Amino acid sequence: METKSVVKISDVSKKFRGFELSVPKLEIPKGYATALVGENGAGKTTLLNLMAGIRLDYKGEIRYFDRESKLDETVQERLGYVGPGCYFLPHWTAKQVEELSGMLFDHFHRERFRELCEEMNIPTGLSKEVKNLSDGNKVKLMLAAVLARDTELLLMDEPASPLDPLMRDKLCELIRDYLEQGNGEKSVLFSTHNVADMENVTDYLLIMEHGEIVEQGFVEDLKEKYIMVKGESADAERAKDVLFSMSRSSFGFEGLCLAEHLDRLAGMDIALETPTLSQICVAVLKANTKLTFAK
Amino acid sequence: MKLLQNSGVPIYQQIADQLRAQILEGKLKEGEYLPSIRGLAKDLKISVITTMKAYEQLEAEGLVTAAPGKGFYVNAQDTEMLKEQHLRKVEEALLEAIHAAEVAGMSAEQLQETLAVLLGMDK
Repeated sequence: METKSVVKISDVSKKFRGFELSVPKLEIPKGYATALVGENGAGKTTLLNLMAGIRLDYKGEIRYFDRESKLDETVQERLGYVGPGCYFLPHWTAKQVEELSGMLFDHFHRERFRELCEEMNIPTGLSKEVKNLSDGNKVKLMLAAVLARDTELLLMDEPASPLDPLMRDKLCELIRDYLEQGNGEKSVLFSTHNVADMENVTDYLLIMEHGEIVEQGFVEDLKEKYIMVKGESADAERAKDVLFSMSRSSFGFEGLCLAEHLDRLAGMDIALETPTLSQICVAVLKANTKLTFAK
Repeated sequence: MKLLQNSGVPIYQQIADQLRAQILEGKLKEGEYLPSIRGLAKDLKISVITTMKAYEQLEAEGLVTAAPGKGFYVNAQDTEMLKEQHLRKVEEALLEAIHAAEVAGMSAEQLQETLAVLLGMDK
């Protein structure tokens, strides 16, 4: 399968005290939804901020779209960002968000903005100020403002976190609509902790730890790379050396095994299963974490 | 199309199976285009890459062809290949029966006898 990329990152690094983001090479596939997963403090927000142009103080190069442009006005026009911070001034009303978005961007459709506000049931009463909206409604308002523009790349920093289960479902629907409208030309990158909620809208997965990408790939490929293995206690000792990750109980063991190592489990009484995206994320994060778990 | 989340059969496999059945039964006709990858993903509420994988599997089986920029269309189904497909189904079912017989501790002769009896009953 041939894929083009929508963002190309080369030798990007950003140092903070006690933390360094370091991405030697990364390409975000074009026409798909990419999920960025990682522990708190892994560098997800920093990476998204660099890509969105919110931070410009970094080393290295980030190129966008087909002609590999740098982040300039034309690129910004095609790029949408949704994040957890105060993107709109706290005393703005929805009406002002509409006015200013219309002024700031060439392709902002007021009609579509109003439709989206209604569709997502955002309280947009005349005097309702952004600061008085709940966290969930703030995200919804940002989504409406971004989706009302003609963009080709959406960068979203934990859009699902403050949303209720129903709205998360709606978010997935909005992402699928966006990809479908683009017919291969529109792409989405979002960070998330809610892997299970977002599984059915994730095409490509990036896992980050300590400022580095530790695993990436198309979801269907990763689900063939890692196999969930369940077995009996008697085989646990032997399986421990083969499995990528393992948890044990008095009844038996379970864990992920790299498909290429599966033959080393020959002769054991085991059952195999395709792992969920969440299981893959947890196993990869556990292999790289500094958190301590009960043995 | 019906997709089961917890059936143990991967979603892409379920999509490929159901589309294959529609092609073999002639419900999807020669030259007809399958729904667009992202359109189907949207309708089925699944990820794009999952539908992509289902389509790629059908392509590998020779049932559809990818037309760059246009999508996937259904190939002419020659009778030889149809036979082949049906034969494969039969083999799969028989393999399952053989496995079940092993678990039950049946000998090859007993299994053949059972098959003969069942064939007789069917007539």
